[in-house]
Amino acid sequence: MTDVRSPQAGNGAAAPGVAEEPADVAGETIAGVADETETPRPGGFGAVAWARWAWRQLTSMRIALVLLFLLALGSVPGSLLPQQGIDPAGVQQYFTAHPALAPFLNALGLFNVFAAPWFAAIYLLLFVSLAGCVLPRSFRLARTARARPPQAPRHLSRLPNSVRYETAMTTEEASAAAAAFLTRRHFRLSQGEGWLSAEKGYRREAGNLLFHVALMGVLVSIGLGGLFGYKADRLLVEGTSFADTVTDLDAYHPGHLVSPNDLAPFSLTLDKFSASYVASGPDRNQPESFNAHVSYTAQPGDAARTYDIQVNHPLNVDAVKVYLLGHGYAPVFRVTDGQGKVVYDQATPFLPADQSTYLSEGVVKAPDAKPQQLGFAGVFLPTAVDVSGQLESAFPAPYLPAVSMIPYVGNLGLNNGVPQSVYQLNTTGMHRLATPVQVLTPGQSMKLPGGAGTLTFTGYRQWVSLQVTYDPGQVPALISGIAALAGLVLSFLVRRRRIFVRTYRGDSGRTVVDVAGLARSDVGGGFEAEFGELAAGLKSVHDHDSSPRSEETE
Amino acid sequence: MAVAGVLGVAACGGQIAANTPASNGNNFVSGNGTSSYFKAGSRLAAPAVSGSTLSGARLSLSSYRGKVVVINFWGSWCAPCRSEAPTLAVLSEQYQSKGVRFVGVDIRDSPASARAFVQNFGISYPSLNDPADEIALAFRHTVPPAAIPSTLVIDRNGQIAGRVIGQTSYSSLGNILAKVTAGG
Amino acid sequence: MSDNLGLAQLSDHLLIVAVVVYSLAMLAYAGDFAYGRRVKAAGAAGKAARPVPELAGVGASGGAATPGTPEGPEQPTAAVPPAATADSAPGDAGRLGPLIRGAIALTYLGLAAHVAGVITRGLAVHRVPWGDMYEFITALTCVTVIFFVALMMRYRAWHLGVFVMGAVVVALGLAQTIIYTPAGPLVPALKSYWLAIHVAAMTLSVGIFFVAAVLGVVYLFAERYSRRAAAGLSPANHGIMRRLPSAVELDRLTYRTVVFGFPIWTFGIIAGAIWADQAWGRYWGWDPVETWAFITWVIYACFLHARATAGWRGRRAAYIQLIAFGCLLFNVLVVQTFLTGLHSYAGLG
Repeated sequence: MTDVRSPQAGNGAAAPGVAEEPADVAGETIAGVADETETPRPGGFGAVAWARWAWRQLTSMRIALVLLFLLALGSVPGSLLPQQGIDPAGVQQYFTAHPALAPFLNALGLFNVFAAPWFAAIYLLLFVSLAGCVLPRSFRLARTARARPPQAPRHLSRLPNSVRYETAMTTEEASAAAAAFLTRRHFRLSQGEGWLSAEKGYRREAGNLLFHVALMGVLVSIGLGGLFGYKADRLLVEGTSFADTVTDLDAYHPGHLVSPNDLAPFSLTLDKFSASYVASGPDRNQPESFNAHVSYTAQPGDAARTYDIQVNHPLNVDAVKVYLLGHGYAPVFRVTDGQGKVVYDQATPFLPADQSTYLSEGVVKAPDAKPQQLGFAGVFLPTAVDVSGQLESAFPAPYLPAVSMIPYVGNLGLNNGVPQSVYQLNTTGMHRLATPVQVLTPGQSMKLPGGAGTLTFTGYRQWVSLQVTYDPGQVPALISGIAALAGLVLSFLVRRRRIFVRTYRGDSGRTVVDVAGLARSDVGGGFEAEFGELAAGLKSVHDHDSSPRSEETE
Repeated sequence: MAVAGVLGVAACGGQIAANTPASNGNNFVSGNGTSSYFKAGSRLAAPAVSGSTLSGARLSLSSYRGKVVVINFWGSWCAPCRSEAPTLAVLSEQYQSKGVRFVGVDIRDSPASARAFVQNFGISYPSLNDPADEIALAFRHTVPPAAIPSTLVIDRNGQIAGRVIGQTSYSSLGNILAKVTAGG
Repeated sequence: MSDNLGLAQLSDHLLIVAVVVYSLAMLAYAGDFAYGRRVKAAGAAGKAARPVPELAGVGASGGAATPGTPEGPEQPTAAVPPAATADSAPGDAGRLGPLIRGAIALTYLGLAAHVAGVITRGLAVHRVPWGDMYEFITALTCVTVIFFVALMMRYRAWHLGVFVMGAVVVALGLAQTIIYTPAGPLVPALKSYWLAIHVAAMTLSVGIFFVAAVLGVVYLFAERYSRRAAAGLSPANHGIMRRLPSAVELDRLTYRTVVFGFPIWTFGIIAGAIWADQAWGRYWGWDPVETWAFITWVIYACFLHARATAGWRGRRAAYIQLIAFGCLLFNVLVVQTFLTGLHSYAGLG
């Protein structure tokens, strides 16, 4: 890549087996940035001097390398350990599995690496380092973008790529011919008495800076999203609707500057969900397609519109996107309590425990049942079959739906105000009723012993899990990413090089032409070939009017 | 993570399927009981609220003009709502004579469970059935309910005077009601 | 639309043929090291550290220090330095021994079988042939061989073939034994045109980085050898080293290869982010595969920066490059397969 920080070729000792960078004999730098091999000493012992030294260190290439490496290293535990933001259940499992190690790792912030302060410190330092180097160079580029190349050095023969030959033209003609030739090749020229300087490839620096500025743009975009964006989850059963307010969401993760007033006011109804699965062959039971048919209004009072949300095909409402993440079954139960009152009558989402057969688990809680609270825990099987006495689900589509629930009475623990998982039953305050295990098909009921009540399985519906995302940094991030790519390609393709030509009267009376070339940071090599080509071209231009007695000298 | 004050789960997160959202299984956003009181000069007007109650009758907020209205967003499945229900029942009867009316808004509930809840806790005030959460949406420009349960207090002029996010207590809601009924 | 089992089987057979032919090619390359006749250079400047153009005049490399392989008394070389003499006369082919020519022919043959195998797999499943781990590895090794053949043709560095063939045979062997998945449809989450774009970019760039890694390893050996030769511990230009490009040229080749692959890798990450946003609701979520792709990107960026930093060129930069490729391998083989995350489409579970 290009050297953002040290435009001068390093002149440290070259290790064997490595090409030496051509030293910048012309003796100037693009920017006044200090050379890689020496750090200027602080001018004194004052705080300002130290601050200046620290700043120079921070914006040096070496520190950038170290910070980059630390950033990568810091990401490693974030990928190997379960992370709080993505897999909180996994984090808890890790704690139970490694009771001694886990608190120590937690103290280091390794279960939430990407939100940890030390990780933020690394990329913020990198950002500052980047900004501190790129921005001044951008300004410098803007100022010098129209600058002409410097005067040609006196002794062109000292440059690593140089050629000398004679021509029958006069010095003026030779200079003019060289100028015309190089101009045709899109070089920018400056001329003087007997010398000519040509430079090309200014876009490389522009591409380089564009890439680094775009990287900063990506960081800023991510910050935008973190401040003003939000993400929310909702599990929605067929036939029900929800509105994008905090009270109607299952989980809500707002950015730091987001308040509940800022949520887009759309409402969405799940009309129907359909899924198809592979029926035969080696991929049997694998899902083929999902389709959530919804109707929505962007604002209350709008006409309802319909849409099919599928995987890879989210709904876009006012820059808020609604994604289909998953689905499952919600069997419909009716619970009658001991006093004959219907205390529960709704579809209950069950979670799939087996991804290939969609055997699902869930609970029913009837906390207002009298005389005692009722709870049920069990399974729903979309295609229930009896396999040697064991009840199993054979296929994820609901061809033979059935449930099997275990009844409990007692205290569900809901009245104490502590939120509970709606998928789990806390049986510490309950006891199980002694009834044989029953399998219910739609329409069948289970009578509880002792007149405690009845559970009826009336049918089933499906549910989808939706994710609502608003990220204002999304489009800026994309634009920055594309700009970074463009800058990268530009900086790799374009090479900055200078050609010098001196013409003077030689000892033999003929005009001698010295041609030399210099490539800035020719890290990839290949300049020799280009120089050879250019020099040959120049020579043929100068030979064009000269006698065939021109000769090469070594 | 902005879900403030989740007081812990009685049981572990449970088996959440691989492609359902990684939630703690509570399936609602709960609050921590903070209450806010808005001074008389800086209150926002409450939006129009109407709907049908659990018993099927029509009810609208405009019929309470001149009275202080307490709007409580609840669900029978929600543990903090169940915990605060006795408090609300007591406060509603206590402040009835001072011109305060309580109205509930029942969210994400089935009528059967909701009616059982009301009967169980002896709630005498009506509750609007709002399965699509349209009423909360109506408050989005003003003082939205930001958790379940949430309680809003509307003054006699139809302006929003206070809000409690999360389970309310006798003292926090009582304080607001005392100030509002005193004309504050 | 069911998969065409006949074509799928044909694909499997063609890929097995490719592995066998590559192995033979590898043997032929190795054989040339051992038994091939020594070949004179075509009058080029020999293994100078800086290949000098024909018109080199006063002040050319004779004056400047020439780090790299010192010029020994005899400089027979079959690996002509790049750049200046890259466009040498076509008669150069005649300078290669029969073993090498046989190896080259076998490489082409193997490549033909390889390409046919990838194409028939795609035809069998009616989609782009990189939908699971097996297909990904077969496709990327195909890119590797194509890129390498292009490289060897341009720089006439045929003797690097033994290393390339060896690496590709190992990769393909792994793919066909442990990682093999029969042809099948994609899970719904993968049914998007982004599959063609994102995974194609990843296939290309990983194939190219594979080349760079192999070159990097060879470079380290060449560099160590030239250091020892400079210190007088080893004879100059002995044995295998005689036939390989110089350490300097290998360094340049490696750099240029990484430069070629890096923008494609960057594009692949961007395309992946766009697809992730469509499918999973966010463009970056620190999913393990995303994280390791980021780590790989950062370390390749370290490599590119290191090349421009004094004191970090040469051997240290090469180590960085190999670490980066190691991260890439870890990402493809371990993270995608074993760590749970949204990217688990390897088809193995």
